Parts: sequence; structure tokens; C-alpha cells
Amino acid sequence: MGTNEIIAETSDLAIGYRNRDRVFRVLEGLSLKARHGELVALIGRNGTGKSTLLRTLTGLIPPLGGRIMLEGNPLNSISLSQLPRIVSFVSTEPVAIHNIKVRDVVSLGRFPYTNWIGTLSQTDEEAVQSAMEATGLTGLAGRSIDSISDGERQRTLIARSLAQDTGLLVMDEPTAFLDLPSRYGIVSLLRKLTREKDKCVIYSTHDLDTAINEADRIWLMTGDGVTEGAPEDLMLTGRLARAFESPLLSFSINDGTFSFVRSRQTGIALEGKGKAAKLTARALARCGYTTDPQALLTVKVSESAGETEWTVTDGVNVRRYGSLYDLVTGLPSGDH
Amino acid sequence: MIAVRTRIVIAIAGLSLLMLLLFIADLLLGSTHMNFADVMGSLFGKGDPGDEIIVMQFRLPKAITAVLAGAAMSVSGLLMQTLFRNPLAGPDVLGVSSGAGLGVALTLLTLTPLITLPAGSLLAGWGLILAAWAGAGVVMLIIMAVSARMRDIMTVLIVGLLLASAISAVVSLLQYFSNEAMLRTYVIWTMGNLGSISYPQIRALSLATAVGLIIAFIMVKPLNAMLMGETFSRTVGVKMQRTRIILLASASILAGSVTAFCGPLAFIGVAVPHVARLIFGTTDHRTLMPGAALCGAVIMLLSDIISNAPGGGHIIPVNTVTSLVGIPVVLWIIIGKRGLGRKF
Repeated sequence: MGTNEIIAETSDLAIGYRNRDRVFRVLEGLSLKARHGELVALIGRNGTGKSTLLRTLTGLIPPLGGRIMLEGNPLNSISLSQLPRIVSFVSTEPVAIHNIKVRDVVSLGRFPYTNWIGTLSQTDEEAVQSAMEATGLTGLAGRSIDSISDGERQRTLIARSLAQDTGLLVMDEPTAFLDLPSRYGIVSLLRKLTREKDKCVIYSTHDLDTAINEADRIWLMTGDGVTEGAPEDLMLTGRLARAFESPLLSFSINDGTFSFVRSRQTGIALEGKGKAAKLTARALARCGYTTDPQALLTVKVSESAGETEWTVTDGVNVRRYGSLYDLVTGLPSGDH
Repeated sequence: MIAVRTRIVIAIAGLSLLMLLLFIADLLLGSTHMNFADVMGSLFGKGDPGDEIIVMQFRLPKAITAVLAGAAMSVSGLLMQTLFRNPLAGPDVLGVSSGAGLGVALTLLTLTPLITLPAGSLLAGWGLILAAWAGAGVVMLIIMAVSARMRDIMTVLIVGLLLASAISAVVSLLQYFSNEAMLRTYVIWTMGNLGSISYPQIRALSLATAVGLIIAFIMVKPLNAMLMGETFSRTVGVKMQRTRIILLASASILAGSVTAFCGPLAFIGVAVPHVARLIFGTTDHRTLMPGAALCGAVIMLLSDIISNAPGGGHIIPVNTVTSLVGIPVVLWIIIGKRGLGRKF
């Protein structure tokens, strides 16, 4: 495991924008920490100021108050040539050129170390190579950036950040616009980097599932500040639920996921066993039914000769269905 | 890696050879027939005195100007495309040539009668260049201010077009108040001409081009970072404000100087960097910059040869030729298989 030293720390930080003489204060009183070897997920609803916080941490916009310490030094005392060796940033800025090779993009991460014309030294070559290996890009080195998938492109930008050889890697929504497997791929890669290379990765995301399951620390941003802790801490205090819950969403502590709230529910009795019965319960829940053994309305799941059949009875009529789709469309809607 | 290097070496060598051949061809071709021996004799002062005047006073300065103008306009276009992250940026498209032209128009149409300069004097050369630089620089500043507010490629292009129109309106006003002789000089200038340039002017143009190219080449490293966008450049330590001003100055010096002496050469600046990207297969400015300069020189020499093609003392204005060469390339950028990129 890592050195566990604090790499980034803010105290009473105020973030926001200055536009000529006007100041837009987004959040204040932020006191946060991140350590070496730690994956930190910054989560919060749209427009709460996640990007502003990340851009302030990387020195792109000045803080409106308070203090930021990176590697034990105040951010404002770190020189412009030193800062790129401490913190790297993957922004949401898209790569706007098409015929650049994956390896050339990663090589640009060596910018702070190369000479005036950007020649790669032996050390630089090795750093680029190692970044490509860590992100699984060696096979794509010669490919052009627009001939690879979105997930691979995001990995290329992460490799570029890794080649920059900083202790702290900050990333703004690295999993945006990716499909589910790619999202997991990216987050598990980030986690691997924190474990194997003792990096600290701070990333913002809207993907609660992966954040709760993979991050060591969550920075939960709401309208009145940022709360930090292990994902389970935030679940325990109910902070996480409060931040995202709405009349439409409810949070389940058991599996750490949000689901839609069904406003009014009808009881239904379910008879049957195994996978088919579980999936039937799920389909019924989606349509506003709760399983209630006392209910008059009954669904019986039966299997014969590999075929599943659903029999519905309300005491008077009996109907049979051959699929769950037919079953739920045949039932009167439960939440009306 | 080996394959990439080999491709670059072959392309540089091939283009250099092509440039040399076209340079010689440019000296050979013209209304007076001359063979290779005549031209070589004239160059080294051993030829027929009549031929020598034609070669040394007309054809050689013209060919040198073509090389300088082609290289300068292409590199200026390359700088602007990376600076504005816009594949259609170029001195003429964004109105920078018009700005330089306004400087020239002010000089030719208003100042000339006030201060009559001895023809061929050093000041005459530099006066025009300085006016063009100032005009180009002002337009560049306006475009930069606009592109800082609007990231949209089309908005910036439209502002460039509007600026060019506004400037041409101002120039029309100037023309209205100027006399016939001044008007003639100005109209001929607008057609683009590589041949009306004197040695002192060539000296000024060479010096300005050299300075512009050296400044541009010093900036290859930040230029490469800028391909990844402004945020990335800043987080790896590029001082954006300073870098922008230097690039702006270099692009204005290059485009302004050429425009001052050769007129507004259309489409070279926007088209040639794309030709260079295609030939060299890279986006690395370390290769692309000398590559674009070479391609530009080759294309300008070719355009000059074509403009002399009718023979018998007739020439097609160079501006017409560069437009005919450049427009297909620009069309290819807009409707080619990648389309008008957010990417380039």
C-alpha cells in the first residue's frame, strides 16, 4: 500500500468565478483532504460546482478565499513550471484534431520535462511506454485518435496524464458518454493506478454506482458545501440519500442504488419458486405491485417441459400468459 | 517510428528537389526564350547582357519572392489554424490580408502624395511593410478577442468575413478620394504580383520572413500542446497569454510583409497547411512547419509559372492562379470525407 501521505488539502476554500468586477461565489468553507494511493470520487448534482472545484484545485482558476495545499506547499507559492509536475488534469475538453497518433497524444504529457523543441529523452520514452502499458494501450500506439473507441480515447487521455508523472491526477467526468462496461473499465483502471502507482486520483462523476463501489473517499457536493467520507459513511449518515433523493427517486442502503419511487401500490400474491419467480416479482414491482400473500389477486408461476406459464386469478376470472411482457400488459396498472 | 521518420525524410527531400527544379523552371520560362545555359550564364555574370538584365532584374527577384511569399503565407496559415483551432483559418479567410491591405491602401492612396519617397529607398520598402503589419495585427487582435468569447468556428469565420467587407468598404472610400495614378498602383497591387519587387524590398521581405519563421519555429513546443486545447496547454505550463501574443505577432509579420509587397495572395495560407498535413501524415509542428514552408514555396513557384503561361508578355494575375489552386483544397476541407471538422 501507499505512503498514505496527504497530497491535496483545502481549508476554508471558497470557489467561484471572477468576471471583471463581479464575483460569482459558488461554494465556500470547503475543507477537504486527499491522500496518496486514494481514489476520490467527486459527486453531486448538475450545476453544483464540481468542475469549478476541480479547476480551482489544478490552479486553472484562482480560489476566492481559503487555502489549497499540494504536496505540503501552498498552491499559490508553487511556480508555473513546478505545478505541472505535481498535478495533471484531464478536462472535458474534446480532442479537436483527428490525425494524431495515440502515442503522440501520450507523449504530450511529457511537456513539462522536455527541452524547448519537445525532444523525448530516454526517461521520457520510458515514462510514455509505462503509461501506455498501465492503461493497456500498447496495441493502439500507432492508431489515430479518431479511429479508436470513446473508451480507448478516454484511456489515451488518462495515459497522457499518467505520463506527466504527477502524484495527483485530477479528471473531470472521465466516464461521461461511455457505455456501462467502459465506465467500469475506466474506474477500475483509476483504482488500479492508485493502488499500483501510489497516485491520488480525484475524479468527478455522475455515475453513483461505480463511485460508491470503487472509490476510497467520496466528496459529496451539495448546494451548501462538500461532505467527505468513505461511501459507507455517507450512506450511514443519510447524506448521500438526501443529496440525490427526490419525489421520484429513493435510495436503498442494501445495494447502494437509487430506484424510482412507486407512488401508490397494489398488493398481489405470488406463488412460485426460483429465478422465474424472482423476475416476476421484479416485473410486478416495476408496474406498481407489491407482493402480498393476503391479496386476492394472485399470480402463479409454473414450469412444464421447459416452458414457463403465468396464471392470474382474481377469484372470478382466470387468465394465462406465456411471457412476463404479456403478464404485465394484461394486468391493470398497479400505480393508478 | 522508423516508417514515420523515413516518410518525413523522403517528403522533405522530394519537396526540396521539386522546389529547386521549379525555381530553375521559373527562371527559364517567360516571354523571352532562354535555355538553361543562358540562365546559368546570366546568374554568374557571364551571359548576354540583355539576358542578364531579364534574369537578374526580373526573373530572379520574382522567383525569390515566390519562395519567400509561399513559405511565409503557409506558415502564417498554420500558426493561425492552431492558434484559433480552426481548420479554415488563414490570413485571407480571417480578414488579416484585408487588414494588411488597408495599411497598404492608406499608404498608397493617402500618404504617398504627402511624403514623396525616393523610389527604391529603404524607407519606401519598410513604410509599406510597417503599415501592413499594423493593419494585419489589428485584425488579428479583433479576431482573437472574438474567438476568446465564441468558440464556434463559424462565428469567427463570419466575423472575419464581415471585417474583410468593412475594410473593403473603407478602401472603396479611399479610392473615391484618390487620383487616377494612385488608384492604378493600388488596383495592380490587389491582383497580386510577385514581379514588381525591387532588391531593397526583397531584402526587407527576406528579413521579415526570416524573423517571422524563426519566431514561429521557437514556438513549436507550445503549438503542439495547443493541439490538445487550451485547458491542457495551461495545465502543462504553457503561458497562454504570452504564447498567443507571440504567435499573433509572428503570423501578422509573415502575412503582413508578403501582403505589403505581393498583394493579398488568396488561399495559400489556408490551403497549404492541409496539403502539408496530408503529405507528412503528422500534426507535429516540428515537421509540419518546415513542411508547410516547403509546400508553400513549391505551390507559389508553380502558381508563378502558370501565371506566365500565356506567353507573349501576357500574365494572369497571381491571385487568380492561387485562388484556382487553393479553392479545391478548401472545398476538400469543407466537404471532404471528414467534413468541416471540429477537427483538423
